[in-house]
Amino acid sequence: MNSPILECNGLAAGYVKGLNILQGVDLVVNEAEIVSIIGPNGAGKSTLLKAVMGLIKISGGRFFLNGIEKTNIPTHKIAIEGVGYVPQVANVFPSLTIEENLEIGSWSINNKKNKITEIFSQFPMLKERRKDKAGNLSGGQRQILALSRALVTSPKILLLDEPSAGLSPVAINDVFETIKNINLAGVAILLVEQNAKRALKFSNRGYVLDQGRNAYHGKGEELLSDPKVIDLYLGKL
Amino acid sequence: MIDQLGNGLLLGVIISVAAVALSLLYGVTRIVNFAHGEIIALGAILTLFFSGSVDSRVLFLDRFSPLGMNFVISAVFAVILCGIFGGLLELMLFRPLRRNSVGNIAVLVVTIGLSIFVRHIYLLFATGKVQNFPLELQRRETYLFFDMTPRNFKVLIVAVVVMITVGLILSYTKLGKAMRAVRDSEELANISGVNSDYIIFITWVFSSMLAGLAGIFQAIINDVRWNMGFLILLLIFAGTVLGGIGTSFGAMVGGFLIGVLVQISVGLPFMEGHVEAKNAVALAIMILILLFRPQGIFGKKERIS
Repeated sequence: MNSPILECNGLAAGYVKGLNILQGVDLVVNEAEIVSIIGPNGAGKSTLLKAVMGLIKISGGRFFLNGIEKTNIPTHKIAIEGVGYVPQVANVFPSLTIEENLEIGSWSINNKKNKITEIFSQFPMLKERRKDKAGNLSGGQRQILALSRALVTSPKILLLDEPSAGLSPVAINDVFETIKNINLAGVAILLVEQNAKRALKFSNRGYVLDQGRNAYHGKGEELLSDPKVIDLYLGKL
Repeated sequence: MIDQLGNGLLLGVIISVAAVALSLLYGVTRIVNFAHGEIIALGAILTLFFSGSVDSRVLFLDRFSPLGMNFVISAVFAVILCGIFGGLLELMLFRPLRRNSVGNIAVLVVTIGLSIFVRHIYLLFATGKVQNFPLELQRRETYLFFDMTPRNFKVLIVAVVVMITVGLILSYTKLGKAMRAVRDSEELANISGVNSDYIIFITWVFSSMLAGLAGIFQAIINDVRWNMGFLILLLIFAGTVLGGIGTSFGAMVGGFLIGVLVQISVGLPFMEGHVEAKNAVALAIMILILLFRPQGIFGKKERIS
């Protein structure tokens, strides 16, 4: 049995005081796992990732990284603890070059030159355009840069918020392929996706979130064939 | 008009240095800092206090004597103290406001209030007198096409060196890259492991030191007044907007252009006897340029998505 990297116990959080979007979420991500969070709009999927990253205040429950409590510590410290996060929008620095984006991504680590070289050999497109402003990249290229920016610190877990949003079908395949490869290298993935079927097929386990609480939880394939989940969240197949 | 070119270059570099500082602070913190002028004046007033002759009672309600220190050392101390002042403003005022998510317009009004408050503290302590640094008078000499005193020529050179240094810091150092990253997105910088609060603090210190330095330049060329920063603030804003809001290089060039235009317009034939109206010509040119290039000379239209 793998040990849990990330663990949430009864997590409650929201953007406005007294109005919690998350109302007690329990979630575990183990080493090298792919876990996806699905659920209807407004269920709190993205909010959960933001709460874990310390971008919004956790008002109840606790959150652990590698078994050590990290509830409400500042965002940059969570990043230094080995959590990579790729937000859905504004996930690159548009006025910085691709190389500078990676340099900022590797702010907290020592051997950044080597890591950036490693990223460049993994994604030759980024190397070719290293002196280009990130703002000039296409949607798919931008998503690859965003993933690389988060990867350059060698995180233990990567939180991805709708990596496929707004991309062409070809670009979506590229991005999922990239995520799969990242996972094969040993990085755990916590994925929030609109495209629930694709996400569940892709994942080891899944959580169904509804109105800020866990509704269902199970293996990816099981959830896909669970009649209640199909009925409520996936639509008839 | 050519007579005025030397003065124009001097005013140009002063506004340029002050505009870079203002633009950098705006870029990183989104604060439109109306108290920028007061930090400029602080640089000059502190330098006067450190360097003024010991037996002249010009400061602090005419009750205290200046310290009579070496001028360059005085200026260095003043710049450092301006940096500390800016840092304290961030820690004690602007960071708490940011924590409580106070909106940009409200913060802007806070800076206006701060500007008026600090300016009148200066009036109280430094008095309303127009004062001069304890520097001997110099004769103008000709450098290339323009006339200025050797001291002012030194100011010009130092200002240009400072601006090149600022440009290099922003482009190539770890700190400069982090400042630009926070300018793009504070949240994403935090996510990347950068402590944005620390970068914003450093930006306040850095911007305030530059402002203080601009104030010292201004006072060397003209004089020290309690409201000297306020008087020049509009031109600094004009320079920042002209160059393109949020681009440091634009602020440098825009500030420089505004300064040169203001001084050159003194030499226009219809300006004879109306020198006080010199700002009008420069600002009219700014409005004209913005009509044709709304994003400023170096501002870019950004791809939004």
